[in-house]
Amino acid sequence: MSISYYPGCTLKTKAKNLETSALAAMAELGIEVEELPRWNCCGAVYSLADDDLIHIIAPVRDLIRVKERGHDTVITLCSMCYNTLARANDLMKHDEEKRKTINMFMDEEPDYAGEVRVVHLLDYLRDDYGWDKLKEKVKVPLAGLTVGPYYGCTLLRPREVALDRPDKPTLFNEFMAALGATVVDFPMGTECCGSYQVLGNPDAALKVSYDILNDANQHNIEALALTCPLCDYNLGRRQNLMRDKFEGVPEIPVYYFTQLLAVALGLSPEVCHFELNRESAIGLLKDKNFLKEVPA
Amino acid sequence: MSTTNEGSGAVAAKVEAKLIPIHVMGKRYEVPESLTIMKAIEYAGYKYIRGCGCRGGVCGACSTVYRKPGDYKIYTGLACQTVVEPEMYLTQLPFYPALRTTYEFSELEGKPEEIFELYPELFRCVACNACTKVCPMDVEVLDYISALKRGDIKAAAEISFDCIQCGLCASRCFAEMPQYHIAQLARRINGAYLTPRAEHLKTMVANIEAGRFAEGLNELKAMDTDTLKKTYQERELEPATAGDDWTPKDTRYL
Amino acid sequence: MPYPEELKQLIKTVESTRVERVERKKKNEEVPFLSLDQRAEMLKYHPDVKEEGRRELMVGPSKGYRIAHEMADLLEARSRVDPAKIDLSKIDYETDVLVIGGGGAGTAAALYAKNNGAKVIIATKLRHGDANTMMAEGGIQAATKGHKDSPYFHYLDVMGGGHFKNVPELVETLVNKAPDAIKWLESLGCGFSKDADGTLRTIHGGGTSRKRMHYAADITGAEIMRTIRDEARNYPNDIHVIEFSPAVELILNDKGHCAGAVLYNLETEEYIIVKAKAVVMATGGCGRLHIQGFMTTNHYGATADGIVMGYRAGVGICFLHTVQYHPTGIVFPEQAEGILITEKFRGSGANLVNIDGQQFVNEREPRDVEASAIIKECIVNGKGIPTPTGKLGIWLDSPMIDMLQGEGTVEREFPGKFILYKRFGIDISKEPMLIYPTLHYQNGGLDFKNTGDTSVPGLFVGGEVGGGIHGENRLMGNSLLDIMVYGRIAGASAAAYIKEKYEDGALTLEHVVKYNKEADEAGVPEDRVAPMILPDYTDPRIRERQLTAHYVGTLR
Repeated sequence: MSISYYPGCTLKTKAKNLETSALAAMAELGIEVEELPRWNCCGAVYSLADDDLIHIIAPVRDLIRVKERGHDTVITLCSMCYNTLARANDLMKHDEEKRKTINMFMDEEPDYAGEVRVVHLLDYLRDDYGWDKLKEKVKVPLAGLTVGPYYGCTLLRPREVALDRPDKPTLFNEFMAALGATVVDFPMGTECCGSYQVLGNPDAALKVSYDILNDANQHNIEALALTCPLCDYNLGRRQNLMRDKFEGVPEIPVYYFTQLLAVALGLSPEVCHFELNRESAIGLLKDKNFLKEVPA
Repeated sequence: MSTTNEGSGAVAAKVEAKLIPIHVMGKRYEVPESLTIMKAIEYAGYKYIRGCGCRGGVCGACSTVYRKPGDYKIYTGLACQTVVEPEMYLTQLPFYPALRTTYEFSELEGKPEEIFELYPELFRCVACNACTKVCPMDVEVLDYISALKRGDIKAAAEISFDCIQCGLCASRCFAEMPQYHIAQLARRINGAYLTPRAEHLKTMVANIEAGRFAEGLNELKAMDTDTLKKTYQERELEPATAGDDWTPKDTRYL
Repeated sequence: MPYPEELKQLIKTVESTRVERVERKKKNEEVPFLSLDQRAEMLKYHPDVKEEGRRELMVGPSKGYRIAHEMADLLEARSRVDPAKIDLSKIDYETDVLVIGGGGAGTAAALYAKNNGAKVIIATKLRHGDANTMMAEGGIQAATKGHKDSPYFHYLDVMGGGHFKNVPELVETLVNKAPDAIKWLESLGCGFSKDADGTLRTIHGGGTSRKRMHYAADITGAEIMRTIRDEARNYPNDIHVIEFSPAVELILNDKGHCAGAVLYNLETEEYIIVKAKAVVMATGGCGRLHIQGFMTTNHYGATADGIVMGYRAGVGICFLHTVQYHPTGIVFPEQAEGILITEKFRGSGANLVNIDGQQFVNEREPRDVEASAIIKECIVNGKGIPTPTGKLGIWLDSPMIDMLQGEGTVEREFPGKFILYKRFGIDISKEPMLIYPTLHYQNGGLDFKNTGDTSVPGLFVGGEVGGGIHGENRLMGNSLLDIMVYGRIAGASAAAYIKEKYEDGALTLEHVVKYNKEADEAGVPEDRVAPMILPDYTDPRIRERQLTAHYVGTLR
């Protein structure tokens, strides 16, 4: 085993469905990962917004844990965690002055200079595993499911850590296509979901989320796939609120990409914890006869 | 019978003991080199009111912060456990203010969200690790705070188990958290809600309340001393290596 | 500091017999327990029987009773306060129940008084929770496993340990209420060591016939104390804690009922009047009196204050002629001198071994027998191990535990002591510990009933300050139990007394005036005041230069 797995806090609580489905899927794919025995919160992306080194400490400490394990790669599932860890890593690799300060500050830890590679499961599947090999593993092709890949911001911005070209990404499309789904691009698929604005300006965030859903609906998209618990919250869990505020809000089930992966690999729905999704999520998959067995 | 081990707590000034200089709150004293900080301070002539408790390393009253010459590091220790070093500069920190919220413990359900609501400052942690570095008990404070942020109360309870609530972590916290109060809540939740209650305990309490052992105890209370001694000597002893399921031959008084 | 070379050489002797001793342990081939007659013979080496260590009390309700000089000095001393200077008309605090002492018994009493509707003040000398409770390591006894144990056997063990002198009603209540005390603690989230299904882990202690010692790793007392203190902190409006303010004198009223106390703010040196409808005395023990010059395991504040105050108010004392010496206190390294090594080490299989590497006593005898055997082995038989500081000790062979129960057991089960020794450069899973008896527990104390009542209406007793439960010798695990059972009872009884029997009256310190007069008439030297409050460990040469100490009293 040479890959560390960094889960992120939300995946241990509210977004358990992102983690369990991913772990099951990776096991099925033969991707061996080991959850870091010691890790702390990634620090979360908003704190990297200004030039405040103290907020780099948390992600760098996690990267040092990976190095301590003797691993050269750490895999993430949540795009926020990916973004935070990757940006901190980039800084440690390229900004000599800040690297020196941080290493001096964290004098209880070994020095770090960006030696670890931070990946997201999506780009790991593309670059290391390969779409062809993934296609071979698919037992239940998601044929007839029209999916909109929702990239959001943090997989594609800023440029240093972008997994694909921000203006016209194909990574998520290729992934969904490998699972056998019908992939439909929609213009709002790379727009921000409202992110943390949901705390400070919930009405504005709701409008942004509504626009995204509406756009997806107009492109006849049946379901959204995404990579981030905060996107899931804004686009999935807040659909009922949108309905109170706006006319004609479509019911669109929202899935973590790992849940659709697990389903396509023919794994038990148990590992997907669909009870944490919108009710329509499991319903749609049942209608399409994708589920290996239906949990009681 | 007399003993030779007359060892009162008083610090006997040993003529042969080498004296070394230490600086108590910046003031220099010469003290015997083998003493703990606590005994050295007393040797110097102080009489403790604050900053001294169990004198055995478990109460958290005597946390001490010190530096060594030519070293930028902050060192900490319990005064009752840490041996003096030449030229150390020290102060004790007998108290540090920390916010503790109140809660009706019996009304909790043991969910992480309850801790998040009671101590929202948990999420101000930037993982600077100052807490762990300053802990005189070598508790991985950052690790239990990190565990709590992801809702793992059991891990937090286990990691924080050796905490003596001295408050040094709170004194250094960048996020201004009262770590040790949060850990206490986590341990209590783990003990009461995340660990199964003991069934045998419930049964025993119910049996006692129903008066099951009253007769046996009355017999014992009424016994003359000789009979009581005989009963005592003849009581069956559970062997040291017996498993928990061992049962005595005589079950009359069970 | 680590063991010096000469001790390392002696450790080789211990190692040379260890494998064989482990094998015997595995086969249950123990050194036989002493018969009651042999025990009596062994106890002749106990410090308690040293007649020159005691004298008859000259004053008070138990005048004529022979107890240790150090305790008698305090009981015969004058009050710290001049009653004439205390203005009882200026009341600083008024409350339902005043609890004196902020340890385990006091905190349990406060919670139970509060649960029964009373407003409570806890007055405590140091910080809330700074008490011997915090230091108790080994465990808490209770017959909780019905398939092999019951209060009946617990009662027998307690009586046997106490030489059959214990007050039967006190013991009966102790053993009957024990499981409920554990259940209460469990409900508060106290982290007892358990199996996965919730079964409480239990082990033997000295003098137990059944494994009924419950524990929380090796910090059982600290875990209990921090849990109940945390609970008390949830009710700041009902339980008001006044720290660094020990009570120095009880206040009675003109009906002879207890009606409060005079507190002394150690920092501002003010005296504070608290009027209360009932008072719970929970001040703990007396280790810091260093009886017969022994080192002690006790907390800094263990100076018998409550016995002094209660005795002056008219409550008799009992069983104070015996003091418990814990068999295994650290005698080297010197920095840790006196610190207790829990009996759980012996319960887990560690032998006591002399300088020849030989056993001389079963390691699970009652404490007084065990302590006597160690003193005899060192002093009479000359088989003690000389320490670099000129003392004698006996080996406690902790590495056996890893050999018996698997590598890592010592570190896992005794984290507190493992870290303590590690700081001195000693790995107790590989090297044995040097121990000698250390002053540990005040077996006796104020007379009280199993309801917590004393002869003074309105004054209740809980915990180590009370005498009679343990007779002449307490078994391990029964002190944490005592404070939980009788702390709760005292708190509940005080609250009930307020509802049913309380009568208001004019406050008075007349009993203190009378007591001082009695001491004058008995010709007690005038150089002492009590309670002691805190011991003085200043270097004697420095003390000579602290001139004000001679006329301000024991505080300075």
